[in-house]
Formats: sequence, C-alpha cells, structure tokens
Amino acid sequence: MLKSVYNWIDERLDITPMWRDVADHEVPEHVNPAHHFSAFVYCFGGLTFFITVIQILSGMFLTMYYVDDIVNAYKSVDYLQHKVAFGVIVRGMHHWGASLVIVMMFLHTLRVFFTGSYKAPREMNWIVGMLIFFVMLGLGFTGYLLPWDNKAYFATQVGIQIAASVPILGQYIETFLQGGEIVGAQTLTRFFALHVFFLPGALLALLGGHFFMIRKQGISGPL
Amino acid sequence: MAHDHNSKEKVVYVGDSRVKKYKKNNVPLDYSAYPGNSEAFVPNFLLKEWMVGSVFLVGFMILTMSHPSPLGYPADPTKTDFVPIPDWYFLFLYQLLKYPYTSDAFVVLGTLVLPGLLFGGLMLAPFLDTGKERRWYKRPIASSLMFLSLFAIVFLTMVSWQGYQHELEELNIIPEHIERAEKLEAGLEVPGGKEEEPVAIVNKESEGYDIYQKSSCISCHAADLNGAVGPTLLGIGDKYSKEEITDIIINGFGNRMGPQLQQNLDAGLTEADLDTLAVWLAEQKAPAGEEAPEEVTDTK
Amino acid sequence: MQDHNKEKQSHGKPVKRREMSRRQFLSYTLGGTGGFMMSLPLIANLRFAVDPLLQPKAESDWVKVIEVEKVTDTPTSVNFEKNVVDGWYESDKGFGAWITKEANGDIFALSPICKHLGCTVEWEKNVNYPNEYFCPCHAARYTRDGKNLAVAPAPLDEYEVKVENGFVYLSQIKPNTRVE
Repeated sequence: MLKSVYNWIDERLDITPMWRDVADHEVPEHVNPAHHFSAFVYCFGGLTFFITVIQILSGMFLTMYYVDDIVNAYKSVDYLQHKVAFGVIVRGMHHWGASLVIVMMFLHTLRVFFTGSYKAPREMNWIVGMLIFFVMLGLGFTGYLLPWDNKAYFATQVGIQIAASVPILGQYIETFLQGGEIVGAQTLTRFFALHVFFLPGALLALLGGHFFMIRKQGISGPL
Repeated sequence: MAHDHNSKEKVVYVGDSRVKKYKKNNVPLDYSAYPGNSEAFVPNFLLKEWMVGSVFLVGFMILTMSHPSPLGYPADPTKTDFVPIPDWYFLFLYQLLKYPYTSDAFVVLGTLVLPGLLFGGLMLAPFLDTGKERRWYKRPIASSLMFLSLFAIVFLTMVSWQGYQHELEELNIIPEHIERAEKLEAGLEVPGGKEEEPVAIVNKESEGYDIYQKSSCISCHAADLNGAVGPTLLGIGDKYSKEEITDIIINGFGNRMGPQLQQNLDAGLTEADLDTLAVWLAEQKAPAGEEAPEEVTDTK
Repeated sequence: MQDHNKEKQSHGKPVKRREMSRRQFLSYTLGGTGGFMMSLPLIANLRFAVDPLLQPKAESDWVKVIEVEKVTDTPTSVNFEKNVVDGWYESDKGFGAWITKEANGDIFALSPICKHLGCTVEWEKNVNYPNEYFCPCHAARYTRDGKNLAVAPAPLDEYEVKVENGFVYLSQIKPNTRVE
C-alpha cells in the first residue's frame, strides 16, 4: 500500500534521485566512530543540528502559552512552567538546550579548526558556519530577555549599553534594539520578533546553505 | 468529467509532464560499491550517529528534568541593587570590559576592536591560513592563536564568574531565581502567576510611624514602606522579630545597608525612639492566613 | 522603423547596433519590476521597524515644582510626579529633586539618586558632614554642586530647569554640568 502510494508520487515527481543521493552517499572510515573511537569529534555538528531541532520544536510549543507583553510575559512563563503539564520539561529543554547548542557548536567549530577542514575549497562553508554562530549568539541574547524577570531585564540593559558604546552608530543601535528610550514594552516585542521570526529565518537559510555545501563537497579527507 | 479523446485536437495537455518515464532504480547500492571501510549514509552510518544522539538525548533529558529552568521575580526597572549577569557564554566579553584599557576612554577597544579582531580573524581564517597543511601541529601560528584565544576565553569566563560570586557574597544577595526556587519548594510562594495582594501598613497611628518618617529608613525604604532602593518593609514582621530588626538598624544588613544607628541619633532621634520603631516594624505582619500556602492545588 | 527596414534589406554586413538588445532590455525590465515588487513592501516594513530611531526625543514635560521665592542657597527638597510613556503603557512616576539658588540668582536642581548604588541622598543628612549631600546607605558624599567626594563614582545628575511666572519648572535629567 505504502509502496504503491510512493510509486504513484514518484511516477509524477521523480523524487527518488533526490533522497537516493543523500542516502547512498559514501561515508568514509575516518569519520566513523565505529572504526576509530576518536572520530566521535565528527559527531558534534550533527548533535548541534539535533539540539537546534529540539530548540525549534520546543520554541514553537512555548509560544502557545507565552505572551510578549511586559505585564504578562513573566506571568505566562511562570504559568507555563508550573501549571501546564510537562511545562518544566518543555521550558527546560528550551532553556538548557540554548546553552548546549552553544557548547556543541563551539566544539564543532574547534573540530573543524583543528582538523584544518576550513581550508580550500571549503572556505565558504566555514564562513556560513561562522554566520550561523553569530545568529545563534543573537538568538541567545534575544531569548534571554523573554522571561522578563530581573535577571533578564538587567542583563539586557547591560548588553544594550555595551552595544551603545560603539562609536557613532552606538546610539542608533541602542534605540533600534530598545524600540524607544528605555528597555520596556517595545523592547520586549522587538526581541520576541527577532527571536521567533527574523533570526530563525536567517538560521534556517544558513543551515540550508551549510548542508548543501557539505553534501556537494563531501566531508574533508583524513588527516 | 468524461474525457473524450478527440484525435482531431492537436495539443493534448493532460498527461503531459517533464518527468521522463524510465526504470527507477530504487535499490540501494551494494556494499561492494563502497571502497575500504566506508559505508552508506543511510542506514549504516546514520544509525551510529543516532546511537550517539540517543545517549546525548538521555543525558540532556536528565539535565532538563533534574534542573528546572531558573525564573526569578518579575522585572522591576526601578530596582537598583540587582547585580546584572549575562548568560554564561557572554561572560568573557562582559569581563573583557572591566580592564583599564577596555573601559572608560578605551571602551571601544573592548566593545569593538578586540571582539572584532577575534571574530573577524576567525571568520577570515581560511584566507589567513592558506597553507596546504591541515594537521594542527603543522600550523603553529593558527593553532597557537586559537589556543591563546581559548585560554583567554576560559580565563575571562572564570574570572567573571568568580567576581560575580564574590559580589553576591559581599552584597549578601541570593540570586532571585534561587531564592524563588527555594521559596516555591518550601511552599512560601504560589507559582503560576498569582497576583500578590499588597500588604497594608499596620497601625499607622502609632508613634513608630512618625519616628519612621523622621528616620534615615525612608531614604531607601520609602515613606510608604513599599521600598525603593531597599526592599519593601511591608510585612517585615513576618520575617524578623523586634530584636532582629534592632540588630539590623544598629549593624546594617550585610553590604546592602550600612549601620544606621549613629545617623539617626545625629538626626535627633533617641535610642528609645529606635526601640519604639523596631517594635512598630515588628508589628508589620500580613493579615493572618495570607502568608500560609494555598491548600494543595493540583499542579499536574 | 525606416532604419529597421533598411537593415533588413542589407543582408551581408553584420548589423551594428548601439541600442540594447531585446534580451538586455527584458532583463533590465525584469530587474526593475523585481526591484519595484520588493522595494515597496520593504520600504514600508523597514520604515516601520526603524520608527523609534526617527521619533523625536520625547521632550519630557516641564513640571511646576516650587515658587521661586522659596528657593534659597540651602538646597530644598521637592517631590513631583511625571508622566512616563513606554510604548502603550503610561504611568505616573514619582521623582525628587534638590533645588538650590546660586549667588547670582540662577537656580539649579540635582537628582537625589546616589550615583553609587541608587539610594536617595539628602542635604546635611549627617551632622558630621555639614554643607554636603549624604547618602545613608554607604556614606557617599557630594558637595552642594553635586560633586562626588566619597564612595560614589560620579557627580549627582542634574535636572533641566526653567523659571516662569515666579515658579520653578523641572524637565528631564541630564549628566551634571556644574562639576568638571
């Protein structure tokens, strides 16, 4: 039954070559932890992606309860964590995942660096990777404010002050991020929009590029 | 809809497609097609990667379930004694700004130049390190710069965290998310966004109230006791006894509040006045029953 | 049109055209149309996003606080409420100020918020330090002009002041201008 459905679709859209290419590509021995245990360092990229998927999922579900308004943001976070079944786990995944994704991405970056995998012809993929790194840091910074507790508020205030000390552009960056003259209602909605739409959009586009390039060029050879 | 195939029609669009009809090869490559010890991505390699992923997920879920995410008290922009701390992975940048050549007049060095060099250098690594050699020990410059940066980042992060801990200790502050978690645990607070009823001033006609208005207390705790720089004193009697309050007035409260006795004596109050004040403050209790935890609410 | 016809007639020679080819023309038009289709929505959205940057700095209202006659060379404390707007939230916030008259009759007002940790300073709060602002929290001290003498890292902030019809009006807080 399933097979005939698949064949019916395949006949019309010719989807087999697309996934066969991904599925059948050759994975060399030197990245396979079953052959060399030390090859586990090649798993960091995949694990980063895995947590990213968890982040996107848990984030989508968190917005079912979260409200990005200064009066209600804290209350909604408190409510979803304590009153909603599995709230501790869903918020916990998003909270701890945010830290872990940075850790794994950092390790992945170090692996690529110390194996010299960024060298020609993979320069572009390294740059895209660095951009992903920045977007992730941006997601961390904007997400930190959303629970709207004191820690979130004052850390963001300090962060924005640091950005404001950039010469010439500083005060414009400050006003743009704050959406006004103080960290307040408009800052929260801005950070929410950045955290939920703009940065994830950029992230997905960059990840697409990252994966396309690694598929096209293949993994770097053994040392 | 019946389709009458009229042979006289020249163009027939139905059934037309750019997808060619051919024998689809839906059979995976044979193992012999992979040279040496390489293997197919699906299912062989992916299975191994997902094994690692599963172990990782178990660890992650244990962390998640054993450590509820922190949540302090609602943001209060007028609060001034809060020690701000960014998320841990920004600590090194935060600490970087505390050194003489990265602060004040040189703050641009700390906010722009140094991080710019660090991240810019990293970004342009493929164009700076163009040699053919890939092994890290054969690329001494690139590797040593990376080790140096790593060391600096770890060092700055540690210094920053220790500084934060030290500051907390010195100011006698428990981070709010910990304080709140403990209170929730002890049932002193109700989670889930319950509106807190403000406690009213008790016995406003008392002499203690008049003394309070003359004392140095109001410059931090406000004339209505609701707190400004200092915390609210409403309901303080639930927390401290008269003796404890007297002790706080005389000796201060950690580093957050200096000793107040001498100033108030200088301001014309007597020790007897302060005693009356302490008695009055100890009377500041929430109406009975309000502080008691709610009857077992079903949180599940 | 005539040129065109002539060209058609003279077959052998390669045609030299100064004008753009049909393909070029269509490509430019496509680019232009695409740019138009993207730019209109983008302009609206970007203007929307940067609106806070183009808002004039909210001139806080002048608040009438005290009669001029009551201001002396000894700092006087005043309290007033000011309307604070944060997006769609509007609230009245309490403020305080210490108002002093200079020898030449000019009036200046200092913010009572201590620059150390934000407690509230008071004039001659401590008898040991006459003619000084004193903060009870950590014994920070300031001169009459707000210059920081001890503990605090910066001088007291100043209010913008104007005198009108015999009353002192205060506006927003600015960094101290009286102390170098």
